[in-house]
Amino acid sequence: MRWGMLINLVKCVGCYSCVVKCEQEHFLPPSVLFGRILISETGEYPRALKHVYPVLCNHCKEAKCVDACPTRATQKREDGIVWVDSDKCVGCRYCLMACPYQVRTYYDEEKEYYPGQGLTEFEKLGRQLHPYQTGTVLKCTFCMERIDSGIKRGLKPGVDRDATPACVITCPSKARYFGDLDDPESEISMLVRKWRPVQLRPEYGTEPSVLYVIG
Amino acid sequence: MIQSRPYEFMVSYTPQTQWIEKGGVKLWLAFFFIELGAGMFFIASLLDNVLAMSIGWFLCAVLGGGFHLLYLGKPLRFWRMAFSSGWKTSWISRGIIFVSFFLGFGFIHILLMQLSIRYTGLVVIADVFAFLTVIYGGFAMNYVNGIPLWNTALLPILYVVSGLWGGAEVTLGLALGSGGMVVGKAVEEWIRILLIGYLLLVPVYLMSVRYTSSTGQVSVRYMMRSQWSAVFWIGVVILGMIVPLVAVINSMITNLETISVAFLYSAILSGLIGDLAMRYLILKCGVYGPLIPSSDTA
Repeated sequence: MRWGMLINLVKCVGCYSCVVKCEQEHFLPPSVLFGRILISETGEYPRALKHVYPVLCNHCKEAKCVDACPTRATQKREDGIVWVDSDKCVGCRYCLMACPYQVRTYYDEEKEYYPGQGLTEFEKLGRQLHPYQTGTVLKCTFCMERIDSGIKRGLKPGVDRDATPACVITCPSKARYFGDLDDPESEISMLVRKWRPVQLRPEYGTEPSVLYVIG
Repeated sequence: MIQSRPYEFMVSYTPQTQWIEKGGVKLWLAFFFIELGAGMFFIASLLDNVLAMSIGWFLCAVLGGGFHLLYLGKPLRFWRMAFSSGWKTSWISRGIIFVSFFLGFGFIHILLMQLSIRYTGLVVIADVFAFLTVIYGGFAMNYVNGIPLWNTALLPILYVVSGLWGGAEVTLGLALGSGGMVVGKAVEEWIRILLIGYLLLVPVYLMSVRYTSSTGQVSVRYMMRSQWSAVFWIGVVILGMIVPLVAVINSMITNLETISVAFLYSAILSGLIGDLAMRYLILKCGVYGPLIPSSDTA
Protein backbone atom coordinates (compact mmCIF):
# COMPACT_ATOMS: atom_id res chain seq x y z
CA MET A 1 0.00 0.00 0.00
CA ARG A 2 1.22 3.46 -0.86
CA TRP A 3 -1.01 6.48 -0.34
CA GLY A 4 -0.65 9.07 -3.04
CA MET A 5 -2.23 12.23 -4.35
CA LEU A 6 -2.98 13.33 -7.86
CA ILE A 7 -3.39 17.04 -8.57
CA ASN A 8 -4.94 18.03 -11.86
CA LEU A 9 -3.44 21.43 -12.66
CA VAL A 10 -5.92 21.88 -15.49
CA LYS A 11 -8.72 21.97 -12.91
CA CYS A 12 -6.83 23.89 -10.18
CA VAL A 13 -7.90 27.53 -10.02
CA GLY A 14 -5.35 28.60 -7.39
CA CYS A 15 -8.01 29.60 -4.86
CA TYR A 16 -5.90 28.66 -1.80
CA SER A 17 -8.79 26.65 -0.29
CA CYS A 18 -6.45 23.70 0.26
CA VAL A 19 -3.92 25.90 2.07
CA VAL A 20 -6.55 27.48 4.30
CA LYS A 21 -8.30 24.18 5.01
CA CYS A 22 -4.96 22.61 5.97
CA GLU A 23 -4.24 25.48 8.38
CA GLN A 24 -7.68 25.04 9.90
CA GLU A 25 -7.61 21.24 10.05
CA HIS A 26 -4.28 21.15 11.87
CA PHE A 27 -4.65 24.41 13.82
CA LEU A 28 -1.33 25.47 12.39
CA PRO A 29 0.50 28.31 14.14
CA PRO A 30 1.26 31.52 12.19
CA SER A 31 3.99 31.17 9.56
CA VAL A 32 3.71 27.36 9.52
CA LEU A 33 2.43 25.99 6.24
CA PHE A 34 2.02 22.35 5.30
CA GLY A 35 0.77 23.22 1.83
CA ARG A 36 1.55 26.14 -0.43
CA ILE A 37 0.56 27.47 -3.81
CA LEU A 38 3.45 28.31 -6.11
CA ILE A 39 2.61 30.73 -8.89
CA SER A 40 4.84 31.73 -11.78
CA GLU A 41 4.65 33.06 -15.29
CA THR A 42 6.42 32.11 -18.49
CA GLY A 43 6.45 33.67 -21.92
CA GLU A 44 5.45 37.16 -22.91
CA TYR A 45 2.19 38.81 -23.87
CA PRO A 46 0.21 37.69 -25.83
CA ARG A 47 1.62 34.22 -25.24
CA ALA A 48 2.16 34.48 -21.51
CA LEU A 49 1.33 31.47 -19.35
CA LYS A 50 0.51 31.42 -15.67
CA HIS A 51 1.51 28.31 -13.74
CA VAL A 52 -0.25 27.42 -10.49
CA TYR A 53 1.19 24.52 -8.52
CA PRO A 54 -0.23 23.49 -5.17
CA VAL A 55 2.64 21.85 -3.30
CA LEU A 56 2.76 19.80 -0.14
CA CYS A 57 4.97 17.05 1.26
CA ASN A 58 5.44 14.53 -1.52
CA HIS A 59 5.71 11.58 0.88
CA CYS A 60 8.49 10.33 -1.34
CA LYS A 61 9.14 6.65 -1.83
CA GLU A 62 12.87 7.37 -1.49
CA ALA A 63 12.51 10.15 1.07
CA LYS A 64 15.75 12.07 1.61
CA CYS A 65 14.44 13.45 4.90
CA VAL A 66 13.95 10.00 6.41
CA ASP A 67 17.55 9.00 5.73
CA ALA A 68 18.85 12.39 6.86
CA CYS A 69 17.18 12.36 10.28
CA PRO A 70 19.83 11.57 12.91
CA THR A 71 17.32 10.49 15.57
CA ARG A 72 14.82 8.60 13.39
CA ALA A 73 12.20 11.19 14.37
CA THR A 74 11.24 11.37 10.73
CA GLN A 75 9.72 8.04 9.90
CA LYS A 76 8.03 6.37 6.99
CA ARG A 77 5.03 4.20 7.64
CA GLU A 78 4.24 1.03 5.73
CA ASP A 79 1.55 2.92 3.84
CA GLY A 80 4.18 5.42 2.60
CA ILE A 81 3.23 8.34 4.83
CA VAL A 82 6.27 10.27 6.07
CA TRP A 83 5.76 11.90 9.48
CA VAL A 84 7.77 13.44 12.30
CA ASP A 85 7.68 12.14 15.87
CA SER A 86 8.08 15.47 17.68
CA ASP A 87 9.16 13.75 20.90
CA LYS A 88 12.28 12.46 19.13
CA CYS A 89 13.09 15.53 17.00
CA VAL A 90 16.16 17.49 18.16
CA GLY A 91 15.60 20.41 15.81
CA CYS A 92 18.82 20.01 13.82
CA ARG A 93 16.91 20.85 10.61
CA TYR A 94 18.94 18.42 8.53
CA CYS A 95 15.68 17.02 7.14
CA LEU A 96 14.71 20.52 6.11
CA MET A 97 17.99 20.90 4.24
CA ALA A 98 17.74 17.45 2.68
CA CYS A 99 14.23 17.99 1.27
CA PRO A 100 14.71 19.35 -2.27
CA TYR A 101 11.07 20.47 -2.29
CA GLN A 102 11.38 22.59 0.87
CA VAL A 103 7.99 21.54 2.22
CA ARG A 104 8.98 21.28 5.86
CA THR A 105 8.80 24.06 8.43
CA TYR A 106 10.89 24.65 11.51
CA TYR A 107 8.65 25.76 14.36
CA ASP A 108 10.99 28.12 16.15
CA GLU A 109 8.75 30.04 18.53
CA GLU A 110 5.16 30.23 19.63
CA LYS A 111 3.34 33.09 17.99
CA GLU A 112 -0.18 34.42 18.24
CA TYR A 113 -2.27 35.21 15.22
CA TYR A 114 -2.94 38.63 16.74
CA PRO A 115 0.37 39.63 18.40
CA GLY A 116 -0.01 41.10 21.86
CA GLN A 117 -3.72 40.30 22.09
CA GLY A 118 -3.46 36.78 23.48
CA LEU A 119 -4.66 33.54 21.97
CA THR A 120 -8.03 33.36 20.29
CA GLU A 121 -10.46 30.62 21.31
CA PHE A 122 -9.56 28.86 18.06
CA GLU A 123 -5.87 28.93 18.92
CA LYS A 124 -6.51 27.74 22.49
CA LEU A 125 -8.43 24.77 21.17
CA GLY A 126 -5.68 24.12 18.63
CA ARG A 127 -2.98 24.04 21.29
CA GLN A 128 -4.96 21.37 23.12
CA LEU A 129 -5.62 19.25 20.06
CA HIS A 130 -2.23 19.70 18.42
CA PRO A 131 0.39 20.58 21.04
CA TYR A 132 3.16 21.37 18.54
CA GLN A 133 6.56 21.55 20.18
CA THR A 134 8.74 24.55 19.48
CA GLY A 135 12.27 23.70 18.35
CA THR A 136 11.04 20.86 16.16
CA VAL A 137 10.21 20.41 12.49
CA LEU A 138 6.61 20.18 11.32
CA LYS A 139 5.26 18.84 8.05
CA CYS A 140 2.23 17.59 6.15
CA THR A 141 1.09 14.15 7.30
CA PHE A 142 -1.39 13.46 4.50
CA CYS A 143 -3.91 13.94 7.37
CA MET A 144 -2.92 10.52 8.71
CA GLU A 145 -5.19 10.98 11.75
CA ARG A 146 -8.17 11.19 9.41
CA ILE A 147 -6.95 8.20 7.40
CA ASP A 148 -6.29 6.05 10.48
CA SER A 149 -9.54 6.85 12.24
CA GLY A 150 -11.44 6.43 8.98
CA ILE A 151 -9.98 3.00 8.32
CA LYS A 152 -10.84 1.95 11.87
CA ARG A 153 -14.44 2.91 11.15
CA GLY A 154 -14.42 0.88 7.95
CA LEU A 155 -14.15 3.89 5.65
CA LYS A 156 -12.02 4.01 2.52
CA PRO A 157 -9.49 6.86 2.14
CA GLY A 158 -9.95 8.68 -1.14
CA VAL A 159 -13.57 7.57 -1.36
CA ASP A 160 -15.12 8.51 1.97
CA ARG A 161 -14.75 12.14 2.99
CA ASP A 162 -14.01 11.42 6.65
CA ALA A 163 -11.05 9.24 5.74
CA THR A 164 -9.59 11.54 3.08
CA PRO A 165 -7.06 14.38 3.53
CA ALA A 166 -8.69 17.73 4.23
CA CYS A 167 -7.15 19.48 1.23
CA VAL A 168 -8.67 16.88 -1.11
CA ILE A 169 -12.23 17.11 0.17
CA THR A 170 -12.20 20.90 0.34
CA CYS A 171 -11.00 21.53 -3.22
CA PRO A 172 -13.90 23.34 -4.91
CA SER A 173 -12.80 22.37 -8.42
CA LYS A 174 -12.17 18.73 -7.50
CA ALA A 175 -8.62 18.98 -8.74
CA ARG A 176 -7.24 16.59 -6.12
CA TYR A 177 -7.54 12.83 -5.92
CA PHE A 178 -6.29 10.59 -3.15
CA GLY A 179 -5.87 6.85 -2.94
CA ASP A 180 -3.63 3.82 -2.98
CA LEU A 181 -1.08 4.04 -5.78
CA ASP A 182 -0.23 0.35 -5.36
CA ASP A 183 -3.82 -0.76 -5.91
CA PRO A 184 -4.42 -0.99 -9.68
CA GLU A 185 -8.18 -0.86 -9.12
CA SER A 186 -8.17 2.37 -7.12
CA GLU A 187 -9.52 5.54 -8.76
CA ILE A 188 -6.16 7.27 -8.46
CA SER A 189 -4.33 4.40 -10.18
CA MET A 190 -6.81 4.41 -13.03
CA LEU A 191 -6.44 8.18 -13.41
CA VAL A 192 -2.66 7.82 -13.36
CA ARG A 193 -2.90 5.38 -16.25
CA LYS A 194 -5.35 7.65 -18.07
CA TRP A 195 -3.76 11.06 -17.54
CA ARG A 196 -0.08 10.10 -17.28
CA PRO A 197 0.82 12.66 -14.60
CA VAL A 198 4.34 13.81 -13.79
CA GLN A 199 6.31 14.00 -10.58
CA LEU A 200 7.74 17.28 -9.39
CA ARG A 201 11.46 17.40 -10.24
CA PRO A 202 11.90 13.64 -10.78
CA GLU A 203 15.63 14.21 -11.30
CA TYR A 204 16.09 14.27 -7.52
CA GLY A 205 15.34 10.55 -7.53
CA THR A 206 12.95 10.72 -4.59
CA GLU A 207 9.91 9.22 -6.34
CA PRO A 208 7.24 11.56 -4.97
CA SER A 209 3.79 10.18 -4.21
CA VAL A 210 2.18 13.47 -5.21
CA LEU A 211 1.63 13.57 -8.96
CA TYR A 212 0.64 16.43 -11.25
CA VAL A 213 -1.48 16.40 -14.37
CA ILE A 214 -0.07 19.22 -16.46
CA GLY A 215 -2.55 19.31 -19.30
CA MET B 1 16.69 35.55 -10.06
CA ILE B 2 17.39 34.87 -6.36
CA GLN B 3 14.33 34.74 -4.13
CA SER B 4 13.88 38.09 -2.40
CA ARG B 5 10.13 38.15 -1.73
CA PRO B 6 8.07 35.55 0.15
CA TYR B 7 5.91 34.69 -2.87
CA GLU B 8 9.01 33.82 -4.87
CA PHE B 9 9.79 30.93 -2.51
CA MET B 10 10.82 27.92 -4.62
CA VAL B 11 9.60 29.77 -7.73
CA SER B 12 12.91 31.59 -8.05
CA TYR B 13 16.27 30.19 -6.93
CA THR B 14 15.77 29.99 -3.18
CA PRO B 15 18.70 30.30 -0.76
CA GLN B 16 18.73 27.99 2.22
CA THR B 17 18.41 29.97 5.43
CA GLN B 18 18.12 27.50 8.29
CA TRP B 19 21.81 26.71 8.41
CA ILE B 20 23.14 30.27 8.22
CA GLU B 21 20.57 32.92 9.12
CA LYS B 22 19.51 33.90 12.61
CA GLY B 23 20.48 30.97 14.85
CA GLY B 24 22.01 29.18 11.87
CA VAL B 25 25.19 31.20 12.34
CA LYS B 26 25.92 28.94 15.31
CA LEU B 27 26.10 25.97 12.98
CA TRP B 28 28.58 27.79 10.75
CA LEU B 29 30.81 28.41 13.78
CA ALA B 30 30.23 24.87 15.04
CA PHE B 31 31.46 23.28 11.82
CA PHE B 32 34.43 25.66 11.74
CA PHE B 33 35.61 24.95 15.28
CA ILE B 34 34.89 21.22 15.11
CA GLU B 35 36.99 20.84 11.96
CA LEU B 36 39.67 23.29 13.03
CA GLY B 37 40.05 21.56 16.41
CA ALA B 38 40.10 18.05 15.00
CA GLY B 39 42.50 19.13 12.23
CA MET B 40 44.77 20.70 14.80
CA PHE B 41 44.74 17.56 16.94
CA PHE B 42 45.55 15.45 13.88
CA ILE B 43 48.53 17.59 12.83
CA ALA B 44 49.78 18.07 16.40
CA SER B 45 49.58 14.34 17.18
CA LEU B 46 51.91 13.60 14.26
CA LEU B 47 54.42 15.95 15.88
CA ASP B 48 53.72 14.80 19.46
CA ASN B 49 52.87 18.36 20.44
CA VAL B 50 50.71 17.96 23.54
CA LEU B 51 49.87 21.67 23.89
CA ALA B 52 48.51 21.92 20.34
CA MET B 53 46.64 18.62 20.73
CA SER B 54 45.02 19.89 23.93
CA ILE B 55 43.98 23.18 22.35
CA GLY B 56 42.61 21.34 19.29
CA TRP B 57 40.65 19.03 21.57
CA PHE B 58 39.33 22.05 23.50
CA LEU B 59 38.30 23.91 20.34
CA CYS B 60 36.47 20.85 19.07
CA ALA B 61 34.77 19.89 22.34
CA VAL B 62 33.93 23.23 23.88
CA LEU B 63 33.48 25.64 20.98
CA GLY B 64 32.50 23.18 18.25
CA GLY B 65 30.32 21.01 20.47
CA GLY B 66 28.96 24.03 22.32
CA PHE B 67 27.84 25.84 19.19
CA HIS B 68 26.34 22.62 17.87
CA LEU B 69 24.27 22.21 21.05
CA LEU B 70 23.23 25.86 21.06
CA TYR B 71 22.01 25.49 17.50
CA LEU B 72 19.68 22.58 18.21
CA GLY B 73 16.01 23.28 18.81
CA LYS B 74 15.93 20.66 21.56
CA PRO B 75 19.55 20.46 22.84
CA LEU B 76 18.72 18.18 25.77
CA ARG B 77 17.76 15.47 23.30
CA PHE B 78 21.15 15.53 21.56
CA TRP B 79 22.03 12.06 22.86
CA ARG B 80 19.36 10.65 20.59
CA MET B 81 21.59 11.46 17.62
CA ALA B 82 24.17 8.94 18.78
CA PHE B 83 21.90 6.35 20.38
CA SER B 84 19.34 5.83 17.63
CA SER B 85 19.76 3.79 14.50
CA GLY B 86 20.19 7.08 12.63
CA TRP B 87 23.88 6.38 12.03
CA LYS B 88 22.95 3.85 9.37
CA THR B 89 21.91 6.61 6.97
CA SER B 90 22.40 10.02 8.58
CA TRP B 91 25.71 11.87 8.36
CA ILE B 92 24.80 14.09 11.30
CA SER B 93 24.35 11.03 13.47
CA ARG B 94 27.60 9.54 12.18
CA GLY B 95 29.31 12.86 12.85
CA ILE B 96 28.20 12.91 16.49
CA ILE B 97 29.60 9.40 16.90
CA PHE B 98 32.90 10.34 15.21
CA VAL B 99 33.24 13.44 17.38
CA SER B 100 32.43 11.50 20.55
CA PHE B 101 34.99 8.79 19.81
CA PHE B 102 37.59 11.37 18.80
CA LEU B 103 37.07 13.34 21.99
CA GLY B 104 37.16 10.19 24.11
CA PHE B 105 40.28 8.61 22.60
CA GLY B 106 41.92 12.02 22.20
CA PHE B 107 41.40 12.85 25.86
CA ILE B 108 42.93 9.56 26.99
CA HIS B 109 45.88 10.06 24.63
CA ILE B 110 46.54 13.59 25.90
CA LEU B 111 46.26 12.38 29.49
CA LEU B 112 48.74 9.55 28.90
CA MET B 113 51.12 11.90 27.06
CA GLN B 114 51.14 14.11 30.17
CA LEU B 115 52.29 11.03 32.07
CA SER B 116 54.91 10.36 29.36
CA ILE B 117 53.10 7.21 28.24
CA ARG B 118 52.56 6.72 24.52
CA TYR B 119 50.38 4.02 23.01
CA THR B 120 50.76 4.09 19.24
CA GLY B 121 47.50 2.21 18.75
CA LEU B 122 45.62 4.77 20.78
CA VAL B 123 46.93 7.74 18.83
CA VAL B 124 46.17 5.99 15.55
CA ILE B 125 42.56 5.42 16.64
CA ALA B 126 42.26 9.02 17.89
CA ASP B 127 43.69 10.28 14.60
CA VAL B 128 41.33 8.16 12.53
CA PHE B 129 38.36 9.62 14.40
CA ALA B 130 39.87 13.12 14.21
CA PHE B 131 40.08 12.72 10.44
CA LEU B 132 36.49 11.44 10.27
CA THR B 133 35.46 14.43 12.40
CA VAL B 134 37.07 16.78 9.91
CA ILE B 135 35.38 15.13 6.95
CA TYR B 136 31.84 14.42 8.19
CA GLY B 137 30.56 17.99 7.78
CA GLY B 138 31.44 17.87 4.10
CA PHE B 139 29.61 14.58 3.65
CA ALA B 140 26.59 15.88 5.61
CA MET B 141 26.30 18.79 3.20
CA ASN B 142 27.17 16.68 0.18
CA TYR B 143 24.06 14.57 0.88
CA VAL B 144 21.75 17.53 0.17
CA ASN B 145 21.02 17.00 -3.51
CA GLY B 146 18.70 19.99 -3.74
CA ILE B 147 21.68 22.34 -3.41
CA PRO B 148 24.23 21.76 -6.20
CA LEU B 149 26.81 23.93 -4.40
CA TRP B 150 26.89 21.30 -1.67
CA ASN B 151 26.07 18.21 -3.69
CA THR B 152 29.55 17.66 -5.07
CA ALA B 153 32.21 15.14 -4.14
CA LEU B 154 34.76 17.94 -3.97
CA LEU B 155 33.13 19.53 -0.92
CA PRO B 156 34.24 16.91 1.66
CA ILE B 157 37.76 17.07 0.18
CA LEU B 158 37.75 20.86 0.42
CA TYR B 159 36.60 20.67 4.04
CA VAL B 160 39.32 18.15 4.90
CA VAL B 161 42.02 20.28 3.34
CA SER B 162 40.79 23.50 4.93
CA GLY B 163 40.27 21.80 8.32
CA LEU B 164 43.78 20.35 8.36
CA TRP B 165 45.27 23.54 6.97
CA GLY B 166 43.56 25.67 9.63
CA GLY B 167 44.71 23.23 12.29
CA ALA B 168 48.28 23.35 10.97
CA GLU B 169 48.22 27.14 10.97
CA VAL B 170 47.16 27.39 14.62
CA THR B 171 49.76 24.74 15.53
CA LEU B 172 52.42 26.83 13.78
CA GLY B 173 51.26 29.89 15.69
CA LEU B 174 51.61 28.00 18.97
CA ALA B 175 55.05 26.70 17.97
CA LEU B 176 56.22 30.22 17.14
CA GLY B 177 54.84 31.50 20.43
CA SER B 178 56.63 28.85 22.47
CA GLY B 179 59.86 29.09 20.48
CA GLY B 180 59.55 25.55 19.10
CA MET B 181 61.24 26.11 15.76
CA VAL B 182 61.68 22.38 15.07
CA VAL B 183 57.92 21.83 15.37
CA GLY B 184 57.35 25.08 13.47
CA LYS B 185 59.41 23.91 10.50
CA ALA B 186 57.68 20.51 10.43
CA VAL B 187 54.25 22.16 10.49
CA GLU B 188 55.32 24.58 7.81
CA GLU B 189 55.93 21.64 5.46
CA TRP B 190 52.34 20.52 6.09
CA ILE B 191 51.07 24.05 5.51
CA ARG B 192 52.84 24.28 2.15
CA ILE B 193 51.25 21.05 0.92
CA LEU B 194 47.80 21.86 2.29
CA LEU B 195 47.85 25.43 0.99
CA ILE B 196 48.70 24.24 -2.51
CA GLY B 197 45.84 21.74 -2.23
CA TYR B 198 43.48 24.48 -1.05
CA LEU B 199 44.56 26.88 -3.82
CA LEU B 200 43.85 24.21 -6.42
CA LEU B 201 40.65 22.92 -4.87
CA VAL B 202 38.74 26.18 -4.47
CA PRO B 203 38.70 27.14 -8.18
CA VAL B 204 38.17 23.52 -9.30
CA TYR B 205 35.27 23.18 -6.84
CA LEU B 206 33.64 26.40 -8.00
CA MET B 207 34.14 25.58 -11.67
CA SER B 208 32.71 22.09 -11.27
CA VAL B 209 29.63 23.47 -9.51
CA ARG B 210 29.34 26.23 -12.11
CA TYR B 211 29.02 23.69 -14.92
CA THR B 212 26.83 21.17 -13.06
CA SER B 213 23.46 22.87 -13.49
CA SER B 214 21.81 26.24 -13.82
CA THR B 215 21.25 26.24 -10.04
CA GLY B 216 24.94 25.64 -9.49
CA GLN B 217 25.72 28.47 -11.87
CA VAL B 218 23.41 30.77 -9.90
CA SER B 219 25.09 29.76 -6.62
CA VAL B 220 28.56 30.55 -7.92
CA ARG B 221 27.38 33.83 -9.42
CA TYR B 222 25.66 34.68 -6.14
CA MET B 223 28.96 34.08 -4.38
CA MET B 224 31.16 36.04 -6.76
CA ARG B 225 28.96 38.77 -8.20
CA SER B 226 26.30 39.71 -5.66
CA GLN B 227 26.39 41.56 -2.35
CA TRP B 228 28.59 38.70 -1.15
CA SER B 229 31.28 39.34 -3.73
CA ALA B 230 33.29 41.47 -1.27
CA VAL B 231 33.36 38.56 1.18
CA PHE B 232 34.53 36.28 -1.60
CA TRP B 233 37.19 38.49 -3.19
CA ILE B 234 38.52 40.10 -0.01
CA GLY B 235 37.83 37.32 2.48
CA VAL B 236 38.38 34.14 0.51
CA VAL B 237 40.77 35.23 -2.25
CA ILE B 238 42.94 37.95 -0.69
CA LEU B 239 42.90 37.02 3.01
CA GLY B 240 42.39 33.29 2.62
CA MET B 241 44.62 32.59 -0.36
CA ILE B 242 46.95 35.39 -1.43
CA VAL B 243 48.23 36.47 2.00
CA PRO B 244 49.02 32.89 3.17
CA LEU B 245 50.60 32.19 -0.23
CA VAL B 246 52.85 35.25 0.12
CA ALA B 247 53.86 34.06 3.60
CA VAL B 248 54.64 30.54 2.36
CA ILE B 249 56.66 31.81 -0.63
CA ASN B 250 58.50 34.18 1.67
CA SER B 251 59.40 31.35 4.06
CA MET B 252 60.56 29.20 1.15
CA ILE B 253 62.79 31.95 -0.27
CA THR B 254 64.23 33.08 3.04
CA ASN B 255 63.86 31.06 6.22
CA LEU B 256 61.21 30.63 8.89
CA GLU B 257 63.48 32.13 11.57
CA THR B 258 64.20 35.27 9.57
CA ILE B 259 60.56 36.16 8.79
CA SER B 260 58.86 38.68 11.04
CA VAL B 261 56.78 36.84 13.63
CA ALA B 262 54.14 39.57 13.38
CA PHE B 263 53.85 38.92 9.65
CA LEU B 264 53.51 35.18 10.23
CA TYR B 265 50.82 35.68 12.84
CA SER B 266 49.01 38.05 10.47
CA ALA B 267 49.18 35.44 7.72
CA ILE B 268 47.84 32.74 10.07
CA LEU B 269 44.97 34.98 11.18
CA SER B 270 44.33 35.96 7.59
CA GLY B 271 44.16 32.31 6.53
CA LEU B 272 41.68 31.50 9.30
CA ILE B 273 39.48 34.46 8.35
CA GLY B 274 39.60 33.27 4.74
CA ASP B 275 38.54 29.78 5.79
CA LEU B 276 35.66 31.20 7.82
CA ALA B 277 34.64 33.38 4.87
CA MET B 278 34.67 30.41 2.49
CA ARG B 279 32.56 28.33 4.85
CA TYR B 280 30.15 31.22 5.32
CA LEU B 281 29.72 31.65 1.58
CA ILE B 282 29.24 27.93 0.99
CA LEU B 283 26.37 28.01 3.48
CA LYS B 284 25.00 31.40 2.43
CA CYS B 285 25.10 30.80 -1.32
CA GLY B 286 23.60 27.31 -1.21
CA VAL B 287 20.43 27.74 -3.27
CA TYR B 288 17.64 25.35 -4.19
CA GLY B 289 16.49 25.17 -7.76
CA PRO B 290 12.95 26.36 -8.59
CA LEU B 291 10.24 23.72 -8.50
CA ILE B 292 8.09 25.11 -11.28
CA PRO B 293 8.79 26.74 -14.65
CA SER B 294 9.24 30.51 -14.52
CA SER B 295 10.48 33.26 -16.82
CA ASP B 296 12.72 34.54 -14.03
CA THR B 297 14.67 31.31 -13.97
CA ALA B 298 14.68 30.49 -17.68
